[in-house]
Amino acid sequence: MVTKIPELGRFAEPALLILVSLSDGPKHGYAIMADVEAGTGRPLGPGTLYAALARLEERGLIEALTPVDRRRPYRLTAVGATNLAEQLHELSEFAQLGLRRLGSPTG
Amino acid sequence: MRPMISLILRLYPARWRARYGDEFAAVLEERPLGPFDVADVLLGALDAHLHLRGLGAASQHAKGFAMSLRIGGYAAILGALLIGLVIALTGGRSAGSDNAAAIALLVALAALLVGLTGMSAFQARSDPWLVWSAFAMTAVGSVVIFIASVSDLAGVGPGDWRDGLLPIGLVTAGLGSALFGVATYRVSVLSRRGALALVIGPVAALSGAIAVGQNAWELGMSFLLVGIVSFVAGWLTLGVAAIRLDRAASTLRPA
Repeated sequence: MVTKIPELGRFAEPALLILVSLSDGPKHGYAIMADVEAGTGRPLGPGTLYAALARLEERGLIEALTPVDRRRPYRLTAVGATNLAEQLHELSEFAQLGLRRLGSPTG
Repeated sequence: MRPMISLILRLYPARWRARYGDEFAAVLEERPLGPFDVADVLLGALDAHLHLRGLGAASQHAKGFAMSLRIGGYAAILGALLIGLVIALTGGRSAGSDNAAAIALLVALAALLVGLTGMSAFQARSDPWLVWSAFAMTAVGSVVIFIASVSDLAGVGPGDWRDGLLPIGLVTAGLGSALFGVATYRVSVLSRRGALALVIGPVAALSGAIAVGQNAWELGMSFLLVGIVSFVAGWLTLGVAAIRLDRAASTLRPA
């Protein structure tokens, strides 16, 4: 049974941002924060980051690798990649629907 | 910074520290911590306790629990509107003797502190001391105003509010806002116009108050008016900018 990201409650949004950040390869905590902030222009606090990381790891969507100098990288699991692809497709369909209703030429 | 990080880590449950403690400390050491990060970590510690005690489901659905730009934005707007309302209703004359006005002023300052915390993430990366000074001055100013209000309630305050602690508290809190404006302007986040208004406001109001004290009544009142309008407009503009930025980045919610 695949865990839906919305089931992570208030951590659904940071969790999705973390999964997207890890989609191009493993990253440690600070690199994830910097990547998310650069991508969204919005701060991701360290407390929120680790609360979301813990939940993603519990659900098997990401896995921890061997630490290098106290920095532990994380990577997407196969389940995490499938889950992320599903969520992004849903978002994409939702965005297309909205654009069509707006009569946008890109919809 | 290390003693502060060690103190923060102690707030997390031992089981959580055993698993994430080392890497979490490494993340905290990699960038300057501002009020936003500290508030976020404190909420994270509370969440870790709830989560490890099996109350995760309850904590997951407690929306608005994490520190965010949105919380900061709404708090800044609330604080600015309340301060504007207090000044409009009292004309700034009886703020020291009117209990309702004093309470509203304290609530407004508490809201501005939350606003400053929520909107300070980016500024603290380049100017942590400036942001912490802004936070400390606003907090100290609020405490001084609280003491002045309690003295007034107890009937031990001065006959004229201008002789008591209230003006000291107002000036301290006002300069705290101005420092936050400087930090925001330097980093060029949220709104530079709002940041500039936040710097001009307290400085103009203080100059006006000094001019009134020197019997330059008309000039002083003009500066005071410009200062108050600029202060309120500054916080409102930054609050709206924070909410807009948060909304723009919040398009990742499936239906």
